[in-house]
Amino acid sequence: MEPGKNQRLFKDKPIKVLLAKPGIDGHDRGMFVLAKAFRDAGMDVIYAGLLPTPEEVVDTAVNEDVDVIALSLLNGAHLTVFKKVVDLMTKRGIDDIAVVGGGTIPDEDKPKLEKMGISGNYGPGTPLSVIIEHITERAIEARKKKLGIQ
Amino acid sequence: MKPERRNLEYSEKMNKEELVEGILRGDRRAVSRAISILEASINAELSRFILNSIYPHTGKSQIIGITGPPGVGKSTMIGKLCELLVEQGSNLAVLAVDASSPFTNGSILGNRIRMQSDLTKSGVYMRSLSTHGVSGGLSRAVWEATSVLEAAGHDTILVETVGAGQADLDILELADTIAVVLAPGLGDELQAIKAGIMEIGNIFIVNKKDREGAYLSMKEIEDILSINPGKGWNPPVVGTNSLTGEGFDELIRYISEHNRYEKDNGGKKRRRVYNTILMAVKMRLDSMVAEELEVVRERLSAEEQLHSRNPYEIADEYLKEDVKRLISFAK
Repeated sequence: MEPGKNQRLFKDKPIKVLLAKPGIDGHDRGMFVLAKAFRDAGMDVIYAGLLPTPEEVVDTAVNEDVDVIALSLLNGAHLTVFKKVVDLMTKRGIDDIAVVGGGTIPDEDKPKLEKMGISGNYGPGTPLSVIIEHITERAIEARKKKLGIQ
Repeated sequence: MKPERRNLEYSEKMNKEELVEGILRGDRRAVSRAISILEASINAELSRFILNSIYPHTGKSQIIGITGPPGVGKSTMIGKLCELLVEQGSNLAVLAVDASSPFTNGSILGNRIRMQSDLTKSGVYMRSLSTHGVSGGLSRAVWEATSVLEAAGHDTILVETVGAGQADLDILELADTIAVVLAPGLGDELQAIKAGIMEIGNIFIVNKKDREGAYLSMKEIEDILSINPGKGWNPPVVGTNSLTGEGFDELIRYISEHNRYEKDNGGKKRRRVYNTILMAVKMRLDSMVAEELEVVRERLSAEEQLHSRNPYEIADEYLKEDVKRLISFAK
């Protein structure tokens, strides 16, 4: 870290990420690890707390105007709950927030999630740098879409 | 691991009129987007367009500042206030500021977590902001975000500062009503902080009233306040418990009493305009100087044997060279 060099007060609005575990899943140790890693990568991080509903996740994402929603589940309900989040966003016409996934997601489910627009889908053991790089890419994508409100 | 930084910019192609209309309608996506644009302060022209367009619609709301040391329960208290104020028919919005890292500028915006269930129940708009390296208890964007929320038709805006120390007094320049939240067990610290933050409160709250020593803390504060009673408004001390809602009726009564008092006697609105002007000027100056500072920074880090020289002499050297360039830049 280079203190002083990082104070981009006037040029930069950091990537803003919402971390959420929608559904019945209380394993949030990993979320704290990610939250801290994202913070250290210079991002603004919001953690949605335990057991938010998909509606709450989408509401929070809109009110906070985040760039990326990072969803995680370890309980196997990802195909149901992640889909609900994406569906709610489609319903409200939100296309300028990227959604990424993670947790314990079997390989055969990953293409299905990708098809919904949920990328990443990293499992345990993934290096943090890989996740950060992926979030950054998706955030740039989202930020570019935010350009065209019209 | 060195984070790579990339500049993410908002476009100028955006339909600005639609955005402003959206804000005035109270559309949450428009409000959120506008706050992002103002927070980024990348596109100065667009920012100014937004601020100029919404200005006629601002200045009518009661802005309530909630400040106090970290961990006394400010966020939880705001959650409870949301529930009760909305019940009473208030059109409320919340801004909460959390600290950013001095090393990476990143932040964990954790205020929302404490009030999420109340926000969901009451449908209140809440936005978290990072200080992005600014000290004083608020971020620069708070002033502008407050204006956006006023324009969106919110009659009451709760602004939560970062966990405040003795000198994080920025809220004084923004809020109409300041509630200083404390908790029992701060004990001797209470004495220590009385010079800074203890002067700015319009209402003092001892939260976590169920804890041991709460009554004593309240008495101590009342004691300190009674030494020097002011002319007009004498700050009351309220004990609250955010989990049970104890003391909140009293707190809400004081908030509306102070609102009336400010309307009749206060010069806070005038003061806020004054400060807004000063700050707008300062921000423009700062952004001019920032690029120059970056140049100096780069040269400094290239210089060897810095420690063996007199820092003031080096500063003078730099200023002699750079000041000319700076002045021409400012023009």
